Amino acid sequence: MNAIIIYCVRDLIRWFRGKWGFISALVAPAAWLIFVGLALPVTFTDNYLAFVTPGILVMTTLSASMQGGALIIMDKILGFYNKFMALPPSRESILFGKILVTTIRGIIQSTIILVLAFLLGVPIYSPLQIIGVYLILILFGCLLSSVTTTLAISIGEHDSYAAVTAMITMPLFFTSSAMMPYSSMPEWLRIPAHINPLSIAIDSIRDVTAGLIPGQSILILVILTIFVVSINVKLFRRVKL
Amino acid sequence: MSSTLIAEDLTCNYGNLCAVDSMNIDVGNEIFGLLGPNGSGKTTTVLMFTTLLEPTKGTASVCGIDVVKYPKKVREHISYVPQDMALDVRLTGRENVRFFAELYGVSRPKEMTDEVIGVLDLAERADDYVKTYSGGMRRRLELAQALVHDPQVLFLDEPTVGLDVAARRKIWDHIRSLKKKGMTVFVTTHYMDEADRNCDRIAFIDKGRVRKCDTPASLKTIISGDIIVATIKGNFSFSNIPDIRFIGQQEDEITFLAHDGQRASELIHREVLSQGLTLHSLYVRKPTLDDVFLHLVDDNEDTRPMNMSTYRNMLGKRR
Ligand SMILES: Nc1ncnc2c1ncn2[C@@H]1O[C@H](COP(=O)(O)OP(=O)(O)O)[C@@H](O)[C@H]1O
Ligand SMILES: [Mg+2]
Repeated sequence: MNAIIIYCVRDLIRWFRGKWGFISALVAPAAWLIFVGLALPVTFTDNYLAFVTPGILVMTTLSASMQGGALIIMDKILGFYNKFMALPPSRESILFGKILVTTIRGIIQSTIILVLAFLLGVPIYSPLQIIGVYLILILFGCLLSSVTTTLAISIGEHDSYAAVTAMITMPLFFTSSAMMPYSSMPEWLRIPAHINPLSIAIDSIRDVTAGLIPGQSILILVILTIFVVSINVKLFRRVKL
Repeated sequence: MSSTLIAEDLTCNYGNLCAVDSMNIDVGNEIFGLLGPNGSGKTTTVLMFTTLLEPTKGTASVCGIDVVKYPKKVREHISYVPQDMALDVRLTGRENVRFFAELYGVSRPKEMTDEVIGVLDLAERADDYVKTYSGGMRRRLELAQALVHDPQVLFLDEPTVGLDVAARRKIWDHIRSLKKKGMTVFVTTHYMDEADRNCDRIAFIDKGRVRKCDTPASLKTIISGDIIVATIKGNFSFSNIPDIRFIGQQEDEITFLAHDGQRASELIHREVLSQGLTLHSLYVRKPTLDDVFLHLVDDNEDTRPMNMSTYRNMLGKRR
């Protein structure tokens, strides 16, 4: 079996067995969907839940990635690194295992959101649309989890990493197109919202659910992902024990 | 004897600090102990042999393979159990071993896992979560992980630290049986007595330099004579008693070296009484590796009596 998959399966089992971490990862995004989707008074659409679902999906991917980044730090602090590095598989497979498991965690959480959204009255996507949505989420998950693992490796310490992610998450979400269309945003927010990487993912999902193919956005995501992963590998090779 | 591990002029600097200084060792098919106080460079040496740290200077090879040029190849021949334990407490013992079997790419992971778990006496508890394991069991589980791919060389960094006496003995029993099966075991420790009892050969390391490398028996012949230990209440001034060498003092306990222990202890007894002090206890014993180590380190410095208590702490001597 491939080492990347072996590392990934180990982290998945640890996640499932760590009961509360797993439960909260499933409940928290659902809470977001319900409170934001059903409670906010909006006038620009009559099915706000349908509008906000792509935003919550991407937000969930973001928070899954933030949590996933911590995995690599914990492995280092707890001394697993030392053991893994002395094994025959290439060292990068540790890194790719983390990116894979983080992406999978995000996808599992997104699936819960999607099912819940359909139950709460969002019009069900066609199978082709669902495939498109997952494709974007997987791509975006890879991108974000390599960003967070890069961040984690360069910060190298758990508390500081947690502080940095807490600082980034909220602003990133609220300056994206998750909550409202560009036309309803205040003037000053439009430019940051357009360049916000979350918006790229959110807008592509909206395009897909509207029956379009967001080729350009997907290309941007692919290029960004390749770029970040290659930086990540370089950093990882240099990391000290 | 063919060499399994060779270090030539092996050196590692951390910034200005020289952690390992021009090490030259040659390890055959044996239990080889790297013995020295904390901070002497043992872990650094192991990290270089296991390809985790690049030497600043010099070369190291494992089974004839250079660790810098072919790290991946080297890693296929070795197993490494670091000083600090790292096990997945939410996985069972069996899952922990199976995980390593798969990472090593062994051909029948399930069978091999069951086999090593049996060998290390963990079968009964193999399906319990590691959370519930004692320290000794965890160490054995780490050994099982390391042995699951049947390595040619096993590196153990302080394998018995923090364990109770029974658990320690069990670990050493396993290590010795591995050697019988033909494995080379490179083990670091700061417990002199354990190295004495279990290693075929020992290298004394202090401040990054190998001071001496030999079998425990020949090392002990470096000091000839008896060790006399006296517990004296009061301020004993050691005026030269002929043929007796002062070795060190720890609180009230003073250690001497002499050719004839019986005669020397009589002389010491008399001297203590003549100084008007009380002698609480006096006994003669054979030199241990501790004494040899102190003697060797002492030789390289001056002849001023060294402070035993600092050294005992460094040596982690358990009393
Ligand atoms: N990563 C590091 N950076 C700087 N100094 C280090 C590092 N690791 C170890 N040292 C220093 O190198 C010396 C040898 O350490 P080590 O090999 O861990 O000794 P031992 O294992 O014998 O206790 C010590 O003085 C230690 O403080
Ligand atoms: Mg050490």
